Amino acid sequence: MPRHFEMELDQLRTMLIRMGSLVEEQIDCGVKSIIDGDESLSALVIERDKKVDEYDNAIDQQCMRIFALTQPVAVDLRLLMAALKINNELERIGDIAVNLAERVKALVPFRAFVKETRLREMATAAREMVKAAIDSFVNNDPGLAKKVLTSDDVIDSIDRQMFELMVGKMKGSKDLIEPAVHVVILSRHLERLADHATNIAEDVIFLVNARIIKHNADEQI
Amino acid sequence: MPSSLTSPKISARGVDAFFGKVQALHNVSLDIPEHRVLAIIGPSGCGKSTFLRCLNRMHEVAGGSMRGEVFLDGEDIYKADPVSVRRKVGMVFQKPNPFPTMSIFDNVAVGLRLNGLAKKSELNDIVERSLQQAALWDEVKDQLDKSGVSLSGGQQQRLCIARTLAVNPRVVLMDEPASALDPLATAKIEELIHELKSAYTIVIVTHNMQQAARVSDSTAFFYLGKLIEHGETRKIFTNPEKKQTEEYITGRFG
Repeated sequence: MPRHFEMELDQLRTMLIRMGSLVEEQIDCGVKSIIDGDESLSALVIERDKKVDEYDNAIDQQCMRIFALTQPVAVDLRLLMAALKINNELERIGDIAVNLAERVKALVPFRAFVKETRLREMATAAREMVKAAIDSFVNNDPGLAKKVLTSDDVIDSIDRQMFELMVGKMKGSKDLIEPAVHVVILSRHLERLADHATNIAEDVIFLVNARIIKHNADEQI
Repeated sequence: MPSSLTSPKISARGVDAFFGKVQALHNVSLDIPEHRVLAIIGPSGCGKSTFLRCLNRMHEVAGGSMRGEVFLDGEDIYKADPVSVRRKVGMVFQKPNPFPTMSIFDNVAVGLRLNGLAKKSELNDIVERSLQQAALWDEVKDQLDKSGVSLSGGQQQRLCIARTLAVNPRVVLMDEPASALDPLATAKIEELIHELKSAYTIVIVTHNMQQAARVSDSTAFFYLGKLIEHGETRKIFTNPEKKQTEEYITGRFG
């Protein structure tokens, strides 16, 4: 018979996994609404962010309850710490999906311009990182988490290229300033997605291997 | 074994302990540095109290026998006079055990008197100092002639600690010192352990994992008479090396 405490931890993991699926879908819809200029889809993303926020609060409270009532140690303590941090990252990923969706209306006149950029490619790469980071948590897989860490450079590089490209467009034509600024901001949002995925991957390595690797540290706790 | 700044205060080497033919401890080796608190944890019957009693030769008083060596400041305590060993390595028990017919003052002074350790003129000072070290002085200074058992359970336990400290030991062993006390009295004992480690080396056996985590610098986990893991308390409670340790401290044992 599973112990009550194990059930509480399982419940916490389940909530995080569900929140993870929800924010993955939020990114998909946010990106799709930009590419397709789909305003009703963007409205759905903005509306559904309430659900992400509800998970955020519920997970915080579940963690607080477990901390207060069971004083977890060792692997349980690391799970609680990682859960609090991953929850934070997922909530921020959800906010970025909203940031994308909020830009859809302004971008409708510039759909053709947006399609010519590397936004879709960048979105796919960032989305893959988020998925892999969440999967590494779901499957307790530090190997997958490490792969996420190495992918971050690719996104950073596309972000820099996009910036230079857009500056070039703006220099070439005043008419392109507005869409190019939008694209620079979108690119930065996608780059931030990858950063949050990286943070989740670091939390998974902390959880499973008890190693702190963030900020270029590599310490066994 | 020469004593130096880096050598441990107390050191167990290959300790086997027996009750008759039953072996209670298997080849336990453990070093405890000076001015540090070691917590010993493990399920009932794992040998933790037996190990504690091997550190001041109380195990043989309890009818047991042992093999191996225990060094205090580099000297083998099993080659020394047991009475003098127990003066240097004091012990506090689970249940407060003040002498019921003695006053508070006499309870603290008894060890000094029996051992002829203090002149009459020094006795008052040593009793006061010991009660102060045990964080009991302010509560009892006006009633030193009252019976020791008139005090509350928590106060009685601190009186027993004062009695142990009065003979100026080097190491203090505590066997579940707070398990019979309420949370407030427990907190006082734990605070006291923090204070005392600046002057003494302390080994505490406890069933309360949170207590071990709160008071100790290093933690040793015993199971079935064996030392499974010994390490920094911070490490044991965040990332223990051994699976058995993790299962025990997270409550998944068995």
